[in-house]
Amino acid sequence: MGWTRFFRRASWDQERERELQTYLEIETGENIARGMTSEDARYAARRKLGNPTQIREEIYRMNSLTFIESLWQDVRCGLRMLRKNAGFSAVAILTLALGIGANTAIFSVIHGVLLSPLPYNDPDRIVLVLESNPTRGFPQFSVSPPNYIDWKKDSTSFEQIASIARGDFNYTGGAEPERISGARVASSFFAVMGVTPTMGRTFLPEDDVVGKAGVVVLGYGLWTRRFGSDPQVLGKSLTLDGQSYRVVGVMQDGFQFPRGVDLWLPSEFDADALSPGARGAHYLRVMARLKPGVSVDKAQSEMVAISKRLEQQYPKTNTGWTAKLLTLNEATVGNVRPTLLVLFGAVGFLLLIACANVANLLLARATARQREIAIRFSLGASRLRIARQLLTESILLSGIATGAGLLLAEWAIRALRTLPPSNLPRAANIGLDLPVLGFAAGVAVLTGLLFGFAPALQITRGAPSETLKEGGRTASAGRQGVRSALVVLETTLALVLLVGSGLLLKSFLRLQTVDPGFQYKNIATADVSLPRSKYSTDAQERQFFSQVLERIQSVQGVKEVAASSGNPMEGSNLSFSFATKDLEALSPSDQPSAGYYVVSPNYFHTLGIPLLLGRFFTPEDSAGRPRVAIISQTIAQRFFHNKNPIGQTIKIGVGAAVPVAREIVGVVGDVKDDGLGEAATMAAYEPYTQMAWSDMTLFVRSNSDPSQMASMLRSQVTSVDKDQPVADISTGDQLMAQAVAQPQLRTTLLSLFAGLALILASLGIYGVMSNTVAQRTHEIGVRMALGAGQSSVLRLVLSNGVRLTLLGIAFGSAGAFALTRLMKSFLFHVTPTDPATFVEVALFLFLVALLASYIPARRATRVDPVIALRYE
Amino acid sequence: MQADLLQGTLDLLILQTLVLGAAHGHTIAHVIEHRSDAVLQVEHGSLYPALHRLEDRGWIASFWGTSENNRKARYYRLTAAGRRQLAQQTSRWEQLVGAINRVLRPAKE
Repeated sequence: MGWTRFFRRASWDQERERELQTYLEIETGENIARGMTSEDARYAARRKLGNPTQIREEIYRMNSLTFIESLWQDVRCGLRMLRKNAGFSAVAILTLALGIGANTAIFSVIHGVLLSPLPYNDPDRIVLVLESNPTRGFPQFSVSPPNYIDWKKDSTSFEQIASIARGDFNYTGGAEPERISGARVASSFFAVMGVTPTMGRTFLPEDDVVGKAGVVVLGYGLWTRRFGSDPQVLGKSLTLDGQSYRVVGVMQDGFQFPRGVDLWLPSEFDADALSPGARGAHYLRVMARLKPGVSVDKAQSEMVAISKRLEQQYPKTNTGWTAKLLTLNEATVGNVRPTLLVLFGAVGFLLLIACANVANLLLARATARQREIAIRFSLGASRLRIARQLLTESILLSGIATGAGLLLAEWAIRALRTLPPSNLPRAANIGLDLPVLGFAAGVAVLTGLLFGFAPALQITRGAPSETLKEGGRTASAGRQGVRSALVVLETTLALVLLVGSGLLLKSFLRLQTVDPGFQYKNIATADVSLPRSKYSTDAQERQFFSQVLERIQSVQGVKEVAASSGNPMEGSNLSFSFATKDLEALSPSDQPSAGYYVVSPNYFHTLGIPLLLGRFFTPEDSAGRPRVAIISQTIAQRFFHNKNPIGQTIKIGVGAAVPVAREIVGVVGDVKDDGLGEAATMAAYEPYTQMAWSDMTLFVRSNSDPSQMASMLRSQVTSVDKDQPVADISTGDQLMAQAVAQPQLRTTLLSLFAGLALILASLGIYGVMSNTVAQRTHEIGVRMALGAGQSSVLRLVLSNGVRLTLLGIAFGSAGAFALTRLMKSFLFHVTPTDPATFVEVALFLFLVALLASYIPARRATRVDPVIALRYE
Repeated sequence: MQADLLQGTLDLLILQTLVLGAAHGHTIAHVIEHRSDAVLQVEHGSLYPALHRLEDRGWIASFWGTSENNRKARYYRLTAAGRRQLAQQTSRWEQLVGAINRVLRPAKE
C-alpha cells in the first residue's frame, strides 16, 4: 500500500462513513428490539459508537504524510482566510509590500554600491594618495608631478604607484570629429588596478618617455563603438588632437577608470612639469597598490613622513602640504554612504510601522476570530497547532507582500539605475541579485514572525471557555493595551521620519532660493577644446574663438553669446594664487587663491553677472594693450578694504608662469561656482584677447528653447574648422539641476518614505479608534441612554486618540532629537534640532492623527442607544 | 509505552475474535465486550481505526457482505499473515502476563 493510500483516502473515507452508518443502523435496530423508543435507540447507538467524524478523521490522518500535509492544510486554510477577508488582506499586503519593497530597493542600492567589492583584482589594497593642506582649506587635493616622482622614489609601502591625469582629446578621422575622454597614466597604472587587456598589451615603462612615438590603449566601449570590435585593430593608428597614436591594446570590458574615460595614453612629464615651480601645480590623481600586509594607516604615516621631508626641502611650494590616503572604496562611494545609511534607517522605520500596522489589523481580526479559535480548542486542537496555523497565515501574508514588494523594488531599481554616476556612483551595479533576494526573503520571514507573533500569542493565551462565555463582545483589556502601544510606536517612528524629511525639505527649499550670482535660464553651453598641434599660437586660438562667437551672434534668435575658460554652473574650476600689492611679499604658498576665468568681453552680460564698479572688458583690451583684470566683490572687500580697487594692480600666478601684474578695471558680483550650498568663492577674470586659452565653454542666451541649440552650435563651430568637435552640449537648467541632484534625491526619497509613514500611522490610528468605537458601542449606548450628549461622546473617543498621539509625539521628538544630528552634513541653513521644524511637524502629525480619530468618533456620536443596547 | 500496550491489546483481541470466522465491525465490538464480561469497555468507535490499521498491515482483509438482518455490511476476515501474527502476539502476551504475575505474586504473599 505505502504512500499510494494518500491518494485513495477520499474514497476510503466514503467507505468508512458507510461502515459506521451500518454500525449505527444495526445497533439502533437492536436497541429498538430491546424495547427503546426509536429516538432513544438512535441516541444510545451514537453514544456507544462515539463521534463518527472524529473516527473518520483519525483514520484519515493515518493515511496522511503528517507534517507536510498539515502545513499544506495550514497554507490552504490561510489562503482561504485571506480570500475571505479580501479587504483586510489587500490593506495588509499593500502595507507590507510598501515596507518590504522600499527596504529591498534601498538594500539593493547599499549592496550594489557600498558592499559589493569593486570590480578590480584585490580592490581592498588599492588606495588613492592625495595631497592635503587643511590649513588652506584643501583637505583633499590633487598631486603635483614633482611630488609624485619623489613619492614614487621614496615610498616602500606600495607594490605599484601610478599617476593619472584626465584629459579630453579631439578624435578626427571618423565620420565627424568627436571629443573623447581619456587619461594619461603611468605604465604602472594597470598593475595598480589589477586589470589586464583583452587584446594586446598595456604600457611599458619605456612608453612613458617624452618624445617617443605615441601609443594608446583603447577602452572596450570605444573599440566596439568606433572600431566595430575590429580584431585587427592592434597596430592601427588614430589621430588625437592632430597627432597620430598607435593602438597597442584593448582593455577588458567594463573597465572604465577614471570614470567615463574611453582611452589611455602614457603619461609624459616634460621639463616644465618637473621644474621646481611645478611643485605648486597640483593636477595629478595618484593611485597605489599596497604591498600585502601593509595597512592603510601604516602607508599613510610613511607618506606623511615623506611629505614632511619635502616640506622642509621645498618650503616655498610645499609649506602646509601633507599626504592623505583613501581606500578606493571610500573614494568611490564615501560621499553617498551617509545618504544611503540614512535612507536605510528610514525604510527600516517604515517597515516597522508597516509591521505595527498589520499586527494591529491582525489583532483587530483576532477579536473576531476568538470564538473560532476557542471552538477549535475545545474540539481538541493543540495550542501549538493553532499558533502554527496563525503564524503560517502571517508568513503567507508577508510572502505575498514580498512578491508584490519585489515588483515595487524592481520598478524602483530601474529608476535608480538611470541616475547619473554624479548622483549615485556604481548605479549600474544595482539589481535584484541573489543577496538582495536573500535579504528580501529574510525580511519577509522576519516581518511575518514580527507582526504575527503578538496576535498568535494573544489569541492562544487564555482559557477558551472564558472566551466562549464572553460572547465575543468585549475585548480583553490586555489586547487593547498592546494595540495602543503599537499606535504609539507607529506615531513615534512616523514623527522621527517626518522631522528628518522636514529638515531636508527646508534645507532643499533654502538651497533652491540661493542666488548663484549669475543667470542660467535660457542658456545653452558647449565645450570646445582646440588641439595644440593645430592651434599652436595664441593668435590662432584667439582668432578661432572670435570667429565662432561672431558667427553664433549672427544666428537668428541668439541674444547673447560668450566664451569662458570655466563654467560656473559645473564647479571644480581652475583656481590660482594671487597677490595684491600688500601681499606680494608673501611666498606663493601663503598667498590667497581665487577662481580664475579667461572670458570674452560679453561674458558678464551673457550670464547676468552685475558690474559693481569700473567697467567690463572691451575689444580694445587687446594683446598689445596693458594687461587688465576684473575681480569679484569678495576680493575687493577683503583685500582692498576701504580703498577703491579700480586702477590698482593684481598679480595672478597662472600655472607655473611668473605672475604678471594686471590693472583692475572692474569689480563684479560674486558667483557661487563651488555649489549653491557653499560660500561664494573669490574670482579673478582676464580677457581672452590678452590671455589665450585653448579649452573654452561657449554660452548662448537665446529666445528659444536652449536644448534646441545643439545642432546650431555644432554647425557654427565646424563652419570655422570642420575637424573641431563640440562636447558636453547642455543647458543652464540641466547643469544647475545636476548640481542639486544629490540633495534633491535624498530629499525626495526621505519625504516619500516619511509620507508613506504618515499615511500608515494615520491608518493605524484610524483602525484602532474604529475598533475601540465598535467595541464600546454598547457602553456608548448606555451613556447616551443615561443622557450623555454627542459632544461628550466625541470627547470621550477623541481624548483616547489624542492621548496616544501625544505620547507618540513626545517619544518621537526625543528620538528625532537624538537622531537628526546624523544628518548634520545634509542640512543647509537649518540646525538638526531646528525648533520650528519640530513644532511644525508635531503639529502636522497631531492634526492628521486628530482627523484619523475624528472619523470614528463621529461615528460613535451617531450611535442610536436603542440599537446599541440591543447590539448583543 | 502504555499507548503501545493498549493498542497492541486491541489488535490482539480483534484478531482473536476473527479466528472464529468473518465478522463485521458491530459484531466484533459486541463480541469483545461480551467475552470480557464487559470489563473491557472499548468505545466501539475506536475499533474502526484499529481495523483500518490491521487491514493496512495485511493481517485482515475486508469485503462487503450482507448482515444477518439484510443490511450491507463490511466484513473482516483473518489472513494467513494475520494468523501468524496472532500466534506470535498471543505467545508474547502470555510471556508478558507471566512476567507481570511473577513480579506481583511475592508482593501478594
